Amino acid sequence: METIIEAMHLNKAYNDQVTALLDVNFAIGKGEFVALLGRSGSGKSTLLNILGGLDAPTSGEVRIDGRNVDFGDRKALIALRREAIGFIFQSFNLIPALTAQENVEYPLLFNYHEKAARRERAADLLATVGLADRAHHYPREMSGGEQQRVAIARALVGDPLIVLADEPTGNLDSRTRDEIFDLMRRVNRERETTFLIVTHERELGKRTDRTIELLDGSVVS
Amino acid sequence: MIVGRLIDYLMAAAHQVARKRMRVFLTALGIAIGVAAVVGTVSLGEGIRYQAVEAIKEQSDLTLIEATADIRGGAIQLITPAKIGELDAIPHVAASSAVVREAYATKRQTYLEVVGVDPGGIGDAIRPKYLKGESLAPGSRQAVLGHDVAETLQRYEGVRLGDTVPILIRRYDEDGMPVDEEVGFTLVGVLQERDDAFDQVMLIDRGVAQELRGGEAAFDGVLIRVDHPDAVFGVVDGIKGLGLTARGAFQQIESVNRLMDVVVLILAFFAGVALIVGALMIVNTMVTSVFERTREIGITMAIGASPADVVYLVLAECLYIGLIGGVIGDLLGVAFSGAINTFGKPFIVAQLGDTFSTFADAEITLITPGLLVLGMAIAIALSLVSGLYPALKASHLNPVTAIRTGV
Ligand SMILES: Nc1ncnc2c1ncn2[C@@H]1O[C@H](COP(=O)(O)OP(=O)(O)O)[C@@H](O)[C@H]1O
Ligand SMILES: [Mg+2]
Repeated sequence: METIIEAMHLNKAYNDQVTALLDVNFAIGKGEFVALLGRSGSGKSTLLNILGGLDAPTSGEVRIDGRNVDFGDRKALIALRREAIGFIFQSFNLIPALTAQENVEYPLLFNYHEKAARRERAADLLATVGLADRAHHYPREMSGGEQQRVAIARALVGDPLIVLADEPTGNLDSRTRDEIFDLMRRVNRERETTFLIVTHERELGKRTDRTIELLDGSVVS
Repeated sequence: MIVGRLIDYLMAAAHQVARKRMRVFLTALGIAIGVAAVVGTVSLGEGIRYQAVEAIKEQSDLTLIEATADIRGGAIQLITPAKIGELDAIPHVAASSAVVREAYATKRQTYLEVVGVDPGGIGDAIRPKYLKGESLAPGSRQAVLGHDVAETLQRYEGVRLGDTVPILIRRYDEDGMPVDEEVGFTLVGVLQERDDAFDQVMLIDRGVAQELRGGEAAFDGVLIRVDHPDAVFGVVDGIKGLGLTARGAFQQIESVNRLMDVVVLILAFFAGVALIVGALMIVNTMVTSVFERTREIGITMAIGASPADVVYLVLAECLYIGLIGGVIGDLLGVAFSGAINTFGKPFIVAQLGDTFSTFADAEITLITPGLLVLGMAIAIALSLVSGLYPALKASHLNPVTAIRTGV
């Protein structure tokens, strides 16, 4: 299987004191559906941010789709986020002033797509996540689960290789959590998008291809 | 492409603005008050300028210009037949007539400013109207007097129509001794009062003047009639372009304009102080707005916005504040201007005195399209400048920290 994410000797320290990551090494294959497990404070968010080019490691290397990420090149990092990565966060993910449809379109605005193409693509993805009828609703008019589905559609709109999700089900009840999880799994199967999902719920880890577990900044399994 | 991007940013910003309507409106009002103050006070300055210029146009012969010889860059530009041809070729020159200027004194030492004119060609240029008598006969020693000088000569020297005006012309003999030659001019006409320099001059035949001067065929100036008052300044520029000096009633308009430029600038400056307050309000509103949306901005960057995108998004919001502020400001400015007209006019007219009594039944303020555009431009420029700091602040947010800690 082709490797799409490779972390090599990643270290991250905040203010030269807090060690968030300690010599992290792993590889994820194309199309894999992986859970990143670990207690709160174990460095999961830090790792995800580095993989998505939002944050830079103190040392070590990241390879996305065979290419080394140059953390000093801001333009390249922006291009990486626009073209290769889709982000989903825990909650309050969406822009409150925009409707579901507009939220999904939003990343394409920075990708210089034509308005008509943006609209069509956003509508398609809203349909994929089962929210075609909520296109013109604002985030505050939707349930937490619906909001996360919009966030998934938004993460997918740029047709990324990888979706990085930081506790996407953290604030949801267990039924909704399962729905969201199933939705991501379905997208992963249908589109072969690679998923790396942060969760601290071990039980969810069982429903993935594979788990990576962090403990105090190091990979333990 | 660029326009498309601009529309995208504006659309996205429109949602943010729509969400905080009240806040945006109040902030825009801050700018609007400053704009209204500028529009109102400038309209007063422009109104007074307009009325003063109209008064000059009314009272003087604006379309008459005299082009005179001038020293430019060390070389004297003479009025040659070729130059006269070039003057005639300036657009909107309806008629022209070369003149000779002299200074004579009467036998009883009354100083006379004399203009030697071509009796055939002068009619179209100065359009003389006769109070008494008629025009000069070519080649003869006749004189036509301007209104004021005719009165002076009649009063102090008893010269009336048909009388001879005795003139002493100073010459020098072989030994360099001054000799005064007496020449008599028959007074054949008196001009109506014109309120310009022609009230003070004596018109004589140009050929006679040249002959008395010693026979040289040079001219001192060219009187030019412009076909329309609006074309006057264009013709003046044309004359200056030929290296000649232009004189005429238009110079009064020039000095009014110079004065009013300064007055308007000072008025606008003081009114503009209100704009500073408006600008600070925008800075405050936008800094607050950026702070409230820290997490949102972090997410926006995570999903692909560059710092430049963030700057444009924030500035686009400011642009709306500017647009709304400009429109309201212009409307308030028009209202303010109307108020000055209604309540301020009696006071201003009283201060200006009789010369500008025409103001009493005219509008003393003037709102031009340019002034409204200026109001709009000030509001927009100010909102963008004020938005720069909040926009840069937003674009410098670290997305990770913004998402982790932001509200
Ligand atoms: N910006 C930061 N400054 C200082 N310490 C931080 C910062 N971000 C994270 N940390 C610390 O790094 C460690 C890992 O944090 P994080 O990656 O958020 O863990 P997780 O997502 O697994 O809960 C924690 O000890 C946390 O306090
Ligand atoms: Mg975390």
